[in-house]
Amino acid sequence: MSDKRKSGVPFESEDAGEQKLWRELEDLPQEAPSQRLRRRFYDELEHADQRLHRRRRWLDLFTAPALAAATACVFVGVIIGVLLRSPSAPEHAELAQLQQQVAILNRNLVLDRLDNDSASKRLLGVIEASDLAGRDPEVMRALLERAVDDRVHSVRTAAIDAIGPRVGTPAVGDELMASLEKAESPLVQLALADLVLRYGNQQQLEQLLQLSERGKLHPDVAQHVKSSVSRNRV
Amino acid sequence: MQAVSDEQLIQWVAGGDASCLGTLFERHHRSVYQFCLQLTRSPAASEDLVQDVFLKLLQKASSFRGEGSCKAWIFNIARNVAFDYLRRAERRTTAVDDNGDESSERLIDHRSTEQVAAAEQNLNLVARALAEIPATAREVIWLGRFVFEDYEDLARALGCTVSAARVRMHRAMQQLNSTFTRMNGVPIDV
Repeated sequence: MSDKRKSGVPFESEDAGEQKLWRELEDLPQEAPSQRLRRRFYDELEHADQRLHRRRRWLDLFTAPALAAATACVFVGVIIGVLLRSPSAPEHAELAQLQQQVAILNRNLVLDRLDNDSASKRLLGVIEASDLAGRDPEVMRALLERAVDDRVHSVRTAAIDAIGPRVGTPAVGDELMASLEKAESPLVQLALADLVLRYGNQQQLEQLLQLSERGKLHPDVAQHVKSSVSRNRV
Repeated sequence: MQAVSDEQLIQWVAGGDASCLGTLFERHHRSVYQFCLQLTRSPAASEDLVQDVFLKLLQKASSFRGEGSCKAWIFNIARNVAFDYLRRAERRTTAVDDNGDESSERLIDHRSTEQVAAAEQNLNLVARALAEIPATAREVIWLGRFVFEDYEDLARALGCTVSAARVRMHRAMQQLNSTFTRMNGVPIDV
């Protein structure tokens, strides 16, 4: 029986019948639950407790300190990545300056090799200069020199092979025609004219013909140019 | 006086000590059972509901805000669980009222010998009248008469205001009185 049976909320009513009923209710029988309920409850409580603990162990991974540590790791990783991948502005300028210095050193080294007494060094210089010639007029001029009048056949051939594919470009073509006009030696004129005849475009061929017709080239070279052009046209 | 309050126990349950729920169970499972029995009139269903109520306490312990007594909170959960059961039972067309008489007889059958001897006929009628009125009225009367001592806790258990609890109590008692009078044939002897 409930320990609250004799109390209850204070029920106030002017109806005597309701007041009497209120008192009568006190004596209502109250059935007790079976012992089975207690056993079932404690069994279920044990299972629920185990489930709760398993869930809590899993949720413990997401506690505030664990989340804070994980966030800190991610943050540090991002910072390190940013520092490694994108240098600050002064560092970036310094890096560009270093890269420029390396490029200048590399260019000077190539020019030095193209002018070296050793044929093998000049050959190495020709190979390295082939990459720079397209964007550096001075390297192109040095390479043309090797192509025109190097005393060693293999160096000349390597230089012509390096220049050839670029003859059609305006920068190399202009440099080639300028060198041809300045060249006094018939052998040099012949070598340069052969480059234009072999790799030059139509406009360069026309320029070459004009040079030969104006008497700017040695007569034998001019004849060679005219016959080659007419042969190509046929 | 209880050494540890219900409120402290439920906080410990919320903190992960499920064993404290056993103490709460021992303190309240009888009254929760009797309350559920009043609503369902089925001892087996009431035992199931008591089980549900206390396991819900385990899940919801952390949501107890300490506004009002823990006991009122437990009975609020109990009435929700019990009315859910009644709604499901209604849907299954095993309406509570269909076996009302039988259940009220079962209540009477469990009375003590002293109680039966004291006012057998009246008690019989009171119990039957109580079983006749709607569950919403029955719950107010039962909680107000046997579980709570003030309207504040009663209101919290019912999930309404104190004044609403007073109004509901009066209406429920009027319903009980009229049902009792109708069954008795004459107004109750004052």
